[in-house]
Amino acid sequence: MAAAVALRNQGITDILIVEREKQLGGILRQCIHDGFGLKRFGQTLSGPEYSQRFIDEAEQMQIETLTNATVIDLSEEKIVTIATRDGLRQIQARAVILAMGCRERTRGALAIPGTRPSGIYNAGVAQSYINLFNTMVGREVIIMGSGDIGMIMARRMTLEGAKVKAVFEVLPYPSGLPRNIEQCLNDYGIPLYLRHSVVKIHGTERITGVTVVEVDERMQPIAGTEKEFSCDTLVLSVGLIPENELSIAAGVELDNRTKGAYVDEFCQTSVPGIFAAGNVLHVHDLVDFVSLEAEALANGAVRYLKEGTLPACDIELVASAQLGHIIPQHISGTQDFQLSMRVRKPMGRCRVIVKQGDTVLRRVTLPKAIPAEMIQFTVKADAIVSGERIEVSVNEI
Amino acid sequence: MMKKYDVAVIGGGVVGSAVARELSRFQLSICVLERELDVCNGTSGHNTGLLHSGILYKKGLMRTQCSMEGNAEFDQVAKELDVPFRRCGKLIVGFSEEERLRLEALLENGVRNGVEGLRMIDRDTLKAMEPNASGNFALYVPTAGILCPFTYTIALAENAAQNGVQYLFDHEVLDISRNPEGEFILKTSQKPVCARWVINCAGLYAYKISAMLGFAAYIPNRVKGQYEILDKKTGKFLSMPVYPTPNEVGEFDVHVTPTIDGNVLVGPTIENIQQNISYDVTQDMIKILSESGEKMFAYVKRDYFIRNYAGVFPTVTDPATGKDTDFVIEASKEIPHAVNLVGINSPGLTSALPIARRVVKLVLEQESLQENVNFNPVRKGITRFAEQSVQEQNRLIQSDPDYGEIFCRCECVTKAEIKQAVHNILGVRTVSGIKYRTRATMGRCQGGYCETRIAAILQDEADMRKEDILLNKNGAYLFTGKVK
Amino acid sequence: MRSERVFTCIICPNGCNITTVLEDGVVVEVKGHTCPRGEEYVRQEVLDPRRTIASTVRIEGAALPLCSVRLDRPIPKKDIFRVMEQIDGITLRAPVKIGQIVIENVCGLDSDVIVTKNMEAVE
Repeated sequence: MAAAVALRNQGITDILIVEREKQLGGILRQCIHDGFGLKRFGQTLSGPEYSQRFIDEAEQMQIETLTNATVIDLSEEKIVTIATRDGLRQIQARAVILAMGCRERTRGALAIPGTRPSGIYNAGVAQSYINLFNTMVGREVIIMGSGDIGMIMARRMTLEGAKVKAVFEVLPYPSGLPRNIEQCLNDYGIPLYLRHSVVKIHGTERITGVTVVEVDERMQPIAGTEKEFSCDTLVLSVGLIPENELSIAAGVELDNRTKGAYVDEFCQTSVPGIFAAGNVLHVHDLVDFVSLEAEALANGAVRYLKEGTLPACDIELVASAQLGHIIPQHISGTQDFQLSMRVRKPMGRCRVIVKQGDTVLRRVTLPKAIPAEMIQFTVKADAIVSGERIEVSVNEI
Repeated sequence: MMKKYDVAVIGGGVVGSAVARELSRFQLSICVLERELDVCNGTSGHNTGLLHSGILYKKGLMRTQCSMEGNAEFDQVAKELDVPFRRCGKLIVGFSEEERLRLEALLENGVRNGVEGLRMIDRDTLKAMEPNASGNFALYVPTAGILCPFTYTIALAENAAQNGVQYLFDHEVLDISRNPEGEFILKTSQKPVCARWVINCAGLYAYKISAMLGFAAYIPNRVKGQYEILDKKTGKFLSMPVYPTPNEVGEFDVHVTPTIDGNVLVGPTIENIQQNISYDVTQDMIKILSESGEKMFAYVKRDYFIRNYAGVFPTVTDPATGKDTDFVIEASKEIPHAVNLVGINSPGLTSALPIARRVVKLVLEQESLQENVNFNPVRKGITRFAEQSVQEQNRLIQSDPDYGEIFCRCECVTKAEIKQAVHNILGVRTVSGIKYRTRATMGRCQGGYCETRIAAILQDEADMRKEDILLNKNGAYLFTGKVK
Repeated sequence: MRSERVFTCIICPNGCNITTVLEDGVVVEVKGHTCPRGEEYVRQEVLDPRRTIASTVRIEGAALPLCSVRLDRPIPKKDIFRVMEQIDGITLRAPVKIGQIVIENVCGLDSDVIVTKNMEAVE
């Protein structure tokens, strides 16, 4: 919606938003907690309120929407096939904006050993049952993974009368934001155990418990540290993966680190005229950044629609080992561009350096950096000195 | 008044369902007593889904006869029962000269059994046929195939039900006695059932039923196998099963098998677990699956794992010989009106219908039966939206708009299919039951998107309360009730 | 008596670690904050920790059985479960609009429970 509104603001009239749910708003409809909108709107809102702002704008601008409609295919020629209750629709688009968000990593993907009882939920699924469908998933809860949604669900389930016994995180640092540790766990006395992994699931019908073990620096279980915890519910908050099945169908090349598309500074993918923004491109920690990224994308999409093409983006960007990934992966060098990245491990005071050869294009000093928080800043076009590749690195100082 | 049947089939696995279906060709009242809440919950649902060629076992064994017969007729069976099936062939690859000798011996055995089209192929041919498989040479088995064991068992059971067979789920047989008329009284976990005939198709528990009926007290000697399921992304890189050369005692190490739905299975591992039945997947076996699997097929990577499972094979030891048995299909004058099936493990899926026909033959030896003139061998499955052409998809949506609502994004399953599954003829109402009838929740997100919708449909269409919705068995509740 | 307490600020996603220096329970110094709201937060947190909470209430006549709500002003942490009880007693009737007050001045805590989702009436 943010991209559609921004496109309309720039004079594009022929826009269609396709949504598989019956209502617009995506995952925000179930994110009833507050904390959204501080960057984008300067005030703190709940998920539904945040998304309603965009729904209202889209409605006012009379942007066409198609809800309860699932895109089942997207071709390289930008033919979009949509399943609706009225039949299949095929639309030839001039430009396509991918905004499918992300999905949760599952128990199966982690290959957690043990039996396969009921009562194991991904945090987002539990959230949807509890906040949308008035369905309680369990009473005695263990949470695996310290992702933000898991911590938010720890609080949510506690408020609704469940006993959340603990959160276990295999890494030596939390995956989610510090404020969620404070207001979702500490406020309710829920312990967070770092360097702990769930290594076995018990129960043949409903889950009856888990075995947890401490892990060493190399994430290997430490013998003799096994502990059993009883529970009737295991909630997993172990990472999000951009939902790129349609992108793959369209021939869009993906970056193995982000699991999202390779993009240039216009958020254009490897297929001309197909753009990506938000969690489908790389998983964000804040919805505000998702909207801002989509709004920025509109500039490139409008230019593509008007000129039929965008400048060649031959300058490659590479991230040093301390950085998990970097967006965009290549640029034209003709305009200022925004860089997004995450560190792999928590760092104290540190400096991000953007270099081309020996020339420093930008230097940013941060009081701290953690994997849970995305780092974003702008690099000026006039700083770029050549067509050589740009290296981005971060070091503790 | 106790419910009375001509025949009680114990066990709703692939064999029990095939037996029920074949017996429904005659004028008989038949029930299937199943301890779980759906068919295909034991060994039938936890295997590789392979249509065996008949190459592995010695000539003359019941296993060999049944699997050869089952293999030969399966194109026709698949058509009748609307079961997706592909005769894709199979490769058994080797690396060393020792393995070459073993493969050649296997080839000879296959030829003796009458398996057609077997040949050794060299490295170049192997690479041309299956570019992502390992191996320096291979034995090619063109008659092997792949099918979905759930779809096949459900199809047999639904066809049986169409022809009058009654499925009684949640009916574990606890004891068997005879009334003064010589009829069987089956004490179950529900109400007792009376039947003139009993057919023991109890799979993992067949040894118990065997003893209850008065047949030999076979000793369970179970084998467990663990599997990983890979994302459909890998399916296009494997066109047929790739096995390593069997070891000296004829056991296969971890192999890779494409599924009829486009995933790849890695496994099974082999563990002897004697009396126990455990379906848990263990850390050490996951490691073995990763390592050995990658040796067979380059795409066995953790990134592609979407789920794992374990299966247990009901191998039994004959108390008279102390050896593991062949398929046992037996009846006895001393134990009238009973047919005993024991030791039906691999290749039981391939052999189900041939076994069932042998059961019918044993029944006919003791009793003449009237043909059921209304028997219809044809069963139609749920039409899968994802597998249709664009024109046909459009036609489906016009006929039922629910076909236009995608419920499971990963597997492209529509609301119409879920609704048909909820109203299945067997009356199964579990979430897993819907999964196996539609493939919903079987994709890479494992139900993250569609499970809430399935739960809603069960509440709306089947009038179930939240707390009564079960994953797959009693006690496996999904919800504790309303939030408020 | 002089003491220090460290807080993780929950006002914005930055989650700054802010140190307060206390003398006989009175804040005499605040360190480590990067904005005025952070300072305000820890001063409040020392004296009287407050939170806003979000939950749902039953709704009849809408497409879904629940409507999301939140508090429009923070309440003392100790009163959270008391407020939850009040929220649990409510049933709305569609349609409802964002900002609509569900409970005014809940538990006398000078905070309203408000609707956070537009929900239309359906047949």
